[in-house]
Amino acid sequence: MPEWLEYVHDRYAYWAIVFLMIIGLYGMLFKNNLHKKVVGMIIFQNSMILLFVTAAFKWDATVPVRDAEIDVNVVGNYLNPLPHTLMLTAIVVGVAIVGVAFALLIKIYDNYGTIEEDELLEKLQSPAPEDDDSEDSFPSKGGSV
Amino acid sequence: MKMSKGKKLLGFASLLALTVLLLVAVDSLPKRGLPDAPAHQVINAAGNPGAGAYFIRSAYEDAATPNMVTVVLGDYRSFDTLGEVVVVFAAAIACYLILRRREDEEK
Repeated sequence: MPEWLEYVHDRYAYWAIVFLMIIGLYGMLFKNNLHKKVVGMIIFQNSMILLFVTAAFKWDATVPVRDAEIDVNVVGNYLNPLPHTLMLTAIVVGVAIVGVAFALLIKIYDNYGTIEEDELLEKLQSPAPEDDDSEDSFPSKGGSV
Repeated sequence: MKMSKGKKLLGFASLLALTVLLLVAVDSLPKRGLPDAPAHQVINAAGNPGAGAYFIRSAYEDAATPNMVTVVLGDYRSFDTLGEVVVVFAAAIACYLILRRREDEEK
């Protein structure tokens, strides 16, 4: 293998993860739609999960499930189980975060009738008519639980 | 209020700077799949047993479960898993509190 190809071969997985991270950050920073921002956050989370799973990888190793025919005392025979476990936890926490984020989005849509950030800011900045039922142009959906 | 052009340019520039910074940082990471990377060492730099190698060697002796990920999740780090359950429970409570219809909202 030529030297430059070996260089790429040792690092291309990390490069892909860096670009996924940047895509996620781009979505969170630049998208106007709050739902798209959440999608950006999910992409970012998944890039971190991939980073840890990549760090657990060893060449010529098998999955971290004990096989009687493969010696457990030779550590190089099995992938590192610790990052896999940590990412299992991270996935569960990520799902919890996404659930709360979508609950907030539903509530925002119920109250303001939009999840576009610029329209939302306009509605927040204009003086809200307090206790004025005639202004009810976007009725609450209700029963969203 | 759409994002102004200057703000957008600044954002793109900082994203580009972060990309370059991370790509430079990747260069000093251990090569992918190297079996003796610091994370996989039997004895780490401080002279203590490395966690990953220890789990591979003694998971079956300690918990009689072939799947090492299960052993780490349910035995070695079971308090971590308990905390995780608390997080999921808190998220469920938060979802309920956000989505429920309040009395004064009823029309």
